[in-house]
Formats: sequence, structure tokens, C-alpha cells
Amino acid sequence: MINAVSLPLGDVCFVLHRRCLQGIGGLLFLCAALWLSPGAWADDDPQVTVNDAYINVHNGPGRGYPIFHVVERGEVITLLKSRTDWIKIKTYRGKTGWVRRRDLQFTLGPDGQPPELDDPKQEDYLTDRFELGVALGDFNGADSLTGTLGYRFTENLTAELRVAQNTGQFSDSQILAVALLHQPFPEWRISPFFSLGTGEIKTLPSATLVEPEDRNDTLIQASLGSYIHLTGRFFMRVEYTNHMILTSRNDNEEVNEWKVGFNIFF
Amino acid sequence: MESRFQHLFLMRTAALCVGCLLWAGAPLSLAQDADDEDELGQIISPDIERRTIKEEMIDSENFEFGAFYGLLGIEDFGTNDVVGVTMAYHITEDFFAEATYGMSRLQETSYELLSGGVQLLTDEERDLTYYNLSLGYNLFPGQIQISDKWAFNTRIYLIAGAGNTQFASKDYFTYNFGAGLRFFATDWVSFDLSMRDHVFTHELFGESKETHNLEGRIGLSLFF
Repeated sequence: MINAVSLPLGDVCFVLHRRCLQGIGGLLFLCAALWLSPGAWADDDPQVTVNDAYINVHNGPGRGYPIFHVVERGEVITLLKSRTDWIKIKTYRGKTGWVRRRDLQFTLGPDGQPPELDDPKQEDYLTDRFELGVALGDFNGADSLTGTLGYRFTENLTAELRVAQNTGQFSDSQILAVALLHQPFPEWRISPFFSLGTGEIKTLPSATLVEPEDRNDTLIQASLGSYIHLTGRFFMRVEYTNHMILTSRNDNEEVNEWKVGFNIFF
Repeated sequence: MESRFQHLFLMRTAALCVGCLLWAGAPLSLAQDADDEDELGQIISPDIERRTIKEEMIDSENFEFGAFYGLLGIEDFGTNDVVGVTMAYHITEDFFAEATYGMSRLQETSYELLSGGVQLLTDEERDLTYYNLSLGYNLFPGQIQISDKWAFNTRIYLIAGAGNTQFASKDYFTYNFGAGLRFFATDWVSFDLSMRDHVFTHELFGESKETHNLEGRIGLSLFF
């Protein structure tokens, strides 16, 4: 009889214990899940209703990832986040996946209109945009690497900060310059520009040469080149720059540079 | 008889009065109804504005920050640990731009070891740092299946760029080429297993020599 009572008691204890463990496990899992999904906190993620026969849902943000689900007309989906040309969505059943950004034109927001999403085009980058660029070039025989940060304050004018490092056989140099860049036809796909800049060049001759001291000189830059729109916010830039280095010696030094690079607008 | 007429009259009057009252009251009650509707309307109609969904309302995750650890073999100077950080911007689903900064160290060359006391470089000159700016192309999307419940997205990418490598008190212009496999634990945490070839030319041994310096590394990166 004692055994008969104690056995169920033991069972109850065991079950309670297991429940408790499961509870803790569940809580930990929930915490982990909340921590792992930053979107879980935000309940104000926008929702849209599908207004097309169906929209494909991929399991990754790329055209090569397989379609594993479709959302149908009338289904409400939550927009979680965007990466490049893809939007991560959640269906009302809790499935998450990625849809193409341009497929959202077949959905309706709470106001009965499709979402107004940026469709980055060349024209969108004509004003109030920051620009980040890198270029490789040939600086009078030395290899050059230039980084630029630009701000376009009118359609035609961009102010630019340039940092360059030139690595040559006989000397290295570093350039820091500011420039103003003018594009007469900013809306053209291949849009020419010219620019004028000024700055400082620091020359570091190789230790093997006779004249080993570092020099700092003022520099004037005149450039001619072209932007070539590739896709979205992505441009190629080719450029010829004439550097006039105002040295403390009798003659000023003139260096010609060819550069090719790419720029991204924000 | 009289009382019957009286009764009828009273009935008629009462009916008329009730009718009048009803007639007069009708607009009142209608007005009341309208009021009720207004009040109800105020209660029911949503306070929130019917908003248009705009780009700013969706969190974008195009930036990626990461750190890596690996091995870098510098021709003639042995293979050493390398650590570094990366920052990438995903321009389209195919292209990304990446900036990398890495640090390593050089060992002694075989000549230095065999000759005994000769030192080509000082201790300080054996510290190596590099930076580069590269353009990557996502080539093959894929999945790794772990058991029948877990599947993780992967990407194979190619990357090429240029930068500078600094050691022996000098900068060497460096091209880099490479490829890697990116493994997404979640959408915003990825592991990276990749190879790079850093190509630069130096004249440390008297004549100009193009060197290929291979690096293998593992990294972890987060998307923001």
C-alpha cells in the first residue's frame, strides 16, 4: 500500500520536475529567440495585403534561392526588413521568407495604396546625396589608390574630399585634397564632369635614394572624366587628373594620373 | 350614448395627441439617432492615420561588420597568424564593396636563420599591416542541410581589389584576389571561410620580385 502511494507520488514529482525543467528550457529558448530576432520587439512593422494572384517567397535574399512558399491574394503579410533588392516578410501563419522589392507594387498598404519604396534610379541621385568612391590609377608610374567622399548639393555641383596613397618604386606619396566637381549633364547615363581641387601632398622617398627627407607640398588638381551609371546606386567613374605640385624648388612638378573606380550613392 | 361619444372623442383626441407627439418627436429622435451615430463614429473610427508605407518604415540591413582570424604566408618570411576587421556594403544582391584591415608578423628568412647573426629587418619592421578595398560578386547561392530539420543559406563569392601592405618601413601596392564561402546562421549572422591572394612587388633582396602571398581565414560578421 505504501509502495502504491509512493510510486504515484514519485511519478508526480518526476513529472513536476520535468515540467519545471521544460518551463525553464522554454523560457531560455524564448529569451534566446527574442534576443536572436531583433524584429521581435517591434510590433509596429508595416503590414500589406497581397493584391495579385500570388507572390513568390524565397528562402534567401537572392534570385537563386529556391521559392518555398507563395502568398496569395488577400493575405496580410508583415514587412520585417530589407536587404538590397529583397524584403523579408512574415505571413500571418508565422512563416518568414524573402520577396522581391518590386513585387511589393502588387500589394496594398493600410491606405489602399502600394508601398512607396525607393526604386533607385540614376535620377534619384541628383541632389542631397552622399557619394562614396574608390579608384585605382597610375600616378606617373606609381600605383595609386584614391578614396573620395562627396556631397552633391545641387544637380550639377558636388563637393569632394579626396584621400590618396600612391606607391611607387622610388617614392611613396599621400594626398589630402578638397575639390569642386561640375557635371553639365547629370541626367545622362554617361555623364562627363570636370573638377578643380587643392590640397597637400606628402612625399616619402625610398630610403635607398640620396635625398631621404619627407616633403610636404601644396597641390592643385584639375580633372576631366565621366560617370557611367551601372545599376541602381552604383556608378563607374573614369578620370584623368593633372596634378600641379607647387614645390619649394625652382620648378613646379607636374604629374598626370589616370584613374578608374566605382562610386556608390546614399 | 353620450358617454360613448365622449369615450370615442377622448380616444380620438388621445390618438391625435399621441400622433402629434410622435410626429413632433420624430425629428427629435432622428436627431438623437444622428448624435448617437456621431458618437459611435467617434468611438469606432480608428484614431491612427491611414499611413502610406514608405522606405523609412522598413529597417534596412545592407552593412556588414566582421572580424577574422587566419594564416598568412608571406613569401620568404614564413606563415603567420593574421587578424583583421572588415566592413562591407551590399550594393545589389550580386555586388558588395568591402574594406579590410589586417595585421600580421613576419618570420626570419631562411638566409637569416642559416647565416647566424645576419638580420635583414629590425623587429619593428617585421610587423605587417595591410588594408584593401575590394569589390565582391556573389556567385552561387545555396543551402547546407544539417539533418532533416536544419537548413542554412550559403553563398560562394569572388572578390578582387587593391590596397597597400606595409612592412619593412615601406608601403607596397597590393592587389588581392580571392573567393569564399559564406554561411548564414541567421539572416544577420554569417560565418565566412575564405582564401585571398595578396600580390605585391618588393625589392628587399636587391632585385624586384613579384610575390603571391596566400591567406586562409575564418570570420564572423553581422549585418546592420
